[in-house]
Amino acid sequence: MMDNNLSILVVDDELSVRDSLSNWFIEDGYTVDTAEDAKVALKKIEAYHFHIILIDIKLPGMDGLELNRRIKTINEDTIVIIMTAFASVDSAVEALKDGAYDYVCKPFDPDAVTHIIRNASKSIQLSQENLSLQDRIKSLVNVEDIIGESEGILNVLEQVRVVAETDSTVIINGDSGTGKELIAKAIHMNSSRRFFPMVTVHCGAIAENLMESELFGHERGAFTGAQYARKGKFEMADGATLFLDEISTISMKMQIEILRVLETKKFTRVGGNREFSSDFRVICATNRDLATMVKNGEFREDLFYRLNVFSIDIPPLRERVEDIKLLSEHFVKLYADQMNKGTRHIGKRAAKALQNYAFPGNVRELENLIERAIVIGTGDTVQLKDLPFQQNIDKPTWESIQDMEHHHIESILKKYDWNISQAAKALGVDRVTLYSKIKKYKIEKGS
Amino acid sequence: MSLIKIIPLQFSAVEELEIMLSIISNRFKIETRLSTRPFDMTPYFNPVRSQYNANEIIQQLVTSAGDDNKIVGITELDLFIPVLKYIFGQAYLGGSAALVSGHRLHNSRYGLAEDPKLYSDRLLKCLIHELGHAFGLKHCLKPGCVMVSTTYVEEMDQKSDIFCHTCQEELAELTA
Repeated sequence: MMDNNLSILVVDDELSVRDSLSNWFIEDGYTVDTAEDAKVALKKIEAYHFHIILIDIKLPGMDGLELNRRIKTINEDTIVIIMTAFASVDSAVEALKDGAYDYVCKPFDPDAVTHIIRNASKSIQLSQENLSLQDRIKSLVNVEDIIGESEGILNVLEQVRVVAETDSTVIINGDSGTGKELIAKAIHMNSSRRFFPMVTVHCGAIAENLMESELFGHERGAFTGAQYARKGKFEMADGATLFLDEISTISMKMQIEILRVLETKKFTRVGGNREFSSDFRVICATNRDLATMVKNGEFREDLFYRLNVFSIDIPPLRERVEDIKLLSEHFVKLYADQMNKGTRHIGKRAAKALQNYAFPGNVRELENLIERAIVIGTGDTVQLKDLPFQQNIDKPTWESIQDMEHHHIESILKKYDWNISQAAKALGVDRVTLYSKIKKYKIEKGS
Repeated sequence: MSLIKIIPLQFSAVEELEIMLSIISNRFKIETRLSTRPFDMTPYFNPVRSQYNANEIIQQLVTSAGDDNKIVGITELDLFIPVLKYIFGQAYLGGSAALVSGHRLHNSRYGLAEDPKLYSDRLLKCLIHELGHAFGLKHCLKPGCVMVSTTYVEEMDQKSDIFCHTCQEELAELTA
């Protein structure tokens, strides 16, 4: 069945025209609404985004030409098709000059109107694809665009610059969420292979029995269900970069297979005899220490040395606290823009809370925290209440035992409303000791 | 759904329709009958366009459809709706009435030798297509499906008179 995501508004003062066209477009799966004059049409256009608007040139009150001009001021991208009688073709031409997409003469040839609507739909689809591609281009990674000014991250970026220009195999080490794939992209996008895609294999996400076919591809009939021949990732990465994420998760058997391909750059598809060769560069990432795995016999030593030509270690976020502020500000802007919100700042208490947090999930966790804060927050500033861990944040960060004792005694006294006997009992000391501590720390009632 | 009624509206080849009844009944899994009720087409003639107003005819057909029934008028006359130069057929999505014209389905209209078998095939496709709309089916993009939208006869010849799997399933749900 045809299901369009596109919406059409038909503006005509004749009920029969509105009904006929509306019925026609509904059968094609469009969402259709109608308006009998320009005033009603403008109300509907302001409340809802229509992709295509068909306007009769002669309308009571404001005519179709003026309505077209108004629509263009509301949304320039809306496709306007003018409906006209032969007598008013000149006016239709005028409408085209004012940005209308096309015009049709009433009564329409069914074939003509079908073609105009199909072309308009294609045009909308193309501009949507164009926007999506622009977004993808924007998301391509420049080394300068990677956020951070800590020594740790600057070191990483310098290594990226150095290694990107070579064709060496790279291992990126880092905890989960530190941005290993982003660094891999940065290497790829700054290498001579950037005009080809970076082919990513999330090794941990692929079942053992599918890995061989995923990497090497398969011929038709290679196994039950292999109805068509399929290229594997090695073949797809010809001329490009192959990113093997979570390389530590692959089985010993597959390690042997991968090693052989890395050495020869030649392979055969599963179920086939034909030998393929592919020119790819390998970047892999792991959150486990491969050297230790080699010692424990969990990872092949020969493959480790084949991969470990150039190694980049991404420090966890807790070791580059100075980047938290910059990253937070970056994510605030990113998500506020995406969600059309006016959030631009991070409140002092929220910023302090972020600085004090250990971020076991690293940058990914920080990003999620900020995204969540933008979703639930109001106003132009991310507040502490918008973050999910404020209950832990208000806890003081005492340096010394004396500080801790001071604040603890003070809070117990407050809890028992300065009843010395009860407070002393709760603290496990006698009253004299408590008095001396109060004096020592100069704790005053009501402080 | 209790019945599909096909009503000839100035349509002479009634014997052709009798052959189509069982096919239509089979496609929709609903009993299909031929109605012989007289229907005067004169009031729907538009002298300016020398055509018959399909919207008005359908409105009249709706009143005689009866509860839970679908009625489809079939005519040899040329049909129009105000906004279009001509139509092969017309139905309102999920409505109780549909209308089909054989006027523009003849090969002779396009300067070719008349082909009764081809004409009959086109007519059947039109009937099933419009009835499909009356049951709530939208246009389909699967090549060959009878619910593919067609605006000229060559396109009609490229599709079959059967529903694709998806439309068939959708129809089964709609008629359940």
